[in-house]
Amino acid sequence: MVRNHSTGLFPGLAYIPDDTMVHRFHPLPKLLLLIAYAICVLAFSGVIPAALLFLLLLVLYGISGLGLSFFLRKLRMILIFGLMMLLVQVILVHQGYLLWDYTVLNLIRLQIWSEGLARGAMMMLRFINIIASSYLFVSTTDPNKLVYALMQAGLPYRHGFMLITSLRFIPIFNQELTIIKNAQMAKGIDLEGVLPKSMLRAVKYLLTPLVLSALNKVDYLSISMESRAFGLYKERSYLSEQVVKKEEWLFLLLSLILLSSGASLLK
Amino acid sequence: MSKAIVSLSGVNFRYQGRNTAALRDINLQVEQGEFICITGSSGCGKSTLALCMSGFIPHNVAGEMRGSVIINGMDSRHYTPSQLAGSIGLVQQDPEAQLCTLKVMDEVAFGPENLCLKREEIKDRVEWALAAVNSWHLREREVYSLSGGEKQRIAIASILAMQPELIILDEPTANLDPAGTSEVLQVIRQLGQKTSVIIIEHRLKQLLPIADRLLLMDEGRIIGDGEPEQIYQEYCRRFRSYFTVFAEAERGESPGASVDKKLSRPEPVLRVQELDVKLGGKRILEDISFDLYPGEVTAVMGGNGSGKTTLLLSLLGINKADGGHIFYRNKNITGEKVSRRARNMGLVFQNPNHQIFENTVWREAILPSEMLLGEQDLDDRINFLLTEYDMLAYRDTLPFSLSLGEKKRLTLISVLGYQPEILLLDEPLIGQDKQRVDKFWHGVWKHRQAGGSTLIVCHDPDFVQEFCDRILFLDQGKLLVCEPVKEGFKILKELGFKDYLPGSPVMKEWYYG
Repeated sequence: MVRNHSTGLFPGLAYIPDDTMVHRFHPLPKLLLLIAYAICVLAFSGVIPAALLFLLLLVLYGISGLGLSFFLRKLRMILIFGLMMLLVQVILVHQGYLLWDYTVLNLIRLQIWSEGLARGAMMMLRFINIIASSYLFVSTTDPNKLVYALMQAGLPYRHGFMLITSLRFIPIFNQELTIIKNAQMAKGIDLEGVLPKSMLRAVKYLLTPLVLSALNKVDYLSISMESRAFGLYKERSYLSEQVVKKEEWLFLLLSLILLSSGASLLK
Repeated sequence: MSKAIVSLSGVNFRYQGRNTAALRDINLQVEQGEFICITGSSGCGKSTLALCMSGFIPHNVAGEMRGSVIINGMDSRHYTPSQLAGSIGLVQQDPEAQLCTLKVMDEVAFGPENLCLKREEIKDRVEWALAAVNSWHLREREVYSLSGGEKQRIAIASILAMQPELIILDEPTANLDPAGTSEVLQVIRQLGQKTSVIIIEHRLKQLLPIADRLLLMDEGRIIGDGEPEQIYQEYCRRFRSYFTVFAEAERGESPGASVDKKLSRPEPVLRVQELDVKLGGKRILEDISFDLYPGEVTAVMGGNGSGKTTLLLSLLGINKADGGHIFYRNKNITGEKVSRRARNMGLVFQNPNHQIFENTVWREAILPSEMLLGEQDLDDRINFLLTEYDMLAYRDTLPFSLSLGEKKRLTLISVLGYQPEILLLDEPLIGQDKQRVDKFWHGVWKHRQAGGSTLIVCHDPDFVQEFCDRILFLDQGKLLVCEPVKEGFKILKELGFKDYLPGSPVMKEWYYG
């Protein structure tokens, strides 16, 4: 598990270990489901399918134990962004029926048109659906299991281990970064400045030691991996077999049928 | 003892871009079942030899090699390290960077999986290897959550699972605290019964009784090879006491003496009262109170994760205090900015690579002084310091191309440049043997003589006993001991921290012979 406390647009986008149905579901069919869901989100136009897909997502959030609070807390920026999309559409699109008309102080005329509202709501829901479903996937899927499953399903192991080692090293580099920042503070290097010159300097003072330490670690890592015969054969075997259970395939099949039949019905 | 697992004949190696050879005319045979220790000062070529014997030289390291290395009948020039991996395994120093997966099980299974073994066979090997390093209970853990000692044990297990005929361990305990060192050395002692072992170590006391041979290296040559006790004696004769450069006279009064004059004690330079520090919601330091006096060296001891580094950082204000006060010369500085405090407190980090930012040694040496003191004429002082520490010749060199010892000296120079009254040193001895520490410690001692105060995080009780005035001992964020050295060790003994006592079997080193 990677502890990534980055803030910003995607705060805390990381695996949250738990033992729910969603967590236990094998990563491969889960990934396929995610893809199918995303296709549906993009393929179905109209507010109602988008809203239905959104509801489905909320149910899954509930089952996975993450709940509504997670949704509101972690996806706050995304929700705000979605609302802004809605607002832009409502203001700019003047088609369909006029739903609401109001004039403020005889100066600004506010109008809401049915088409603008529908299009805006759909865009907002699509946007939220795509991001929130990926969020759900990442939060409920052990990245380690996912990569091992992908490798056993045919992903070349060199690529797989590239992913695993980078997951392994993210927290190490975070630590290194903290130490370097501390060292700079101790030396009186003030990294807070808006002038291009001081920003450039800040980047240099941060990157030089970080890159060098990374290179050093990579040396160690490659020796350690080769010392254990990494890359000796084209294939490799695996201790823990990641088998997709029959029920899981069945579930995947059922969901696909449901989604596609839903699609044809709505059309 | 019949079959030779590794045999080196006439091996020379020179790293790319270096003028001097790292290995000179090495001839060595390692027989099956042997337990060999290799020792020698930093930079003597021990690690290079390990890379040679495991086939990484000539394949992965740029340089020029002559001579031949035959590993289990395979010439290392024609076989890659991956192909040699079943015969020979290398465990390195850094416990962090040599683990490549996220889970302990996956890590130990990694090697056998690469060999395309059957699932049952992998399972058997993993179980056997984890048991061999007393770590079966760690099997379900995540790698990042392990302690340094545990990580190193898993690294050993992951090599063992390859079932090599020879394991080479390159200073496996150098980055560990006394407790971690103790557990890893115990595992290594048991290894001897399972496979042939070559271990590069400074800490020989525990290993000598079970070793078949001791090799002594110096400047790329093997200068001694034979019966451990005998070679050890010779070694001790060669490198006798801790510091050769400054004799008794220069050291002035012994630390013990300064403790006796308790009554006429000067005002403390730094006074810490009931300091609490939290990081990320977790309490790291709790209710810490102590004083630092001028002309004294205070040692901070304790296991990894006990809060030693956090303490240094919070004195400077890099980690903010949640409670308590810090007084510098009777002035409350608890709320002061880091850059203000840094003028009086010079912090030298453990790893110099984290605090070297500039392109030349000169720029690096002068950087913090410029930052903290502003534009002043500092050239003379920096020149003087560079001369004093034999670094003037490197004035325009890239700091990263220096050796570890030189880098450490450079970071000390850069701090001494602005003449802080208090030196904060985080494990300055790690990664260096006594000859290299020499110059570094000389500078610290001069600072002490001039009435400066020093706080040093240190794992070596023998060193603390000889060179420090007081001990602070931290355990899980609490200050257990804050006493003059003699009394401090007495209390530690009563509390049962046996790995932290001078002359303990783990830390009692070759230093004293």
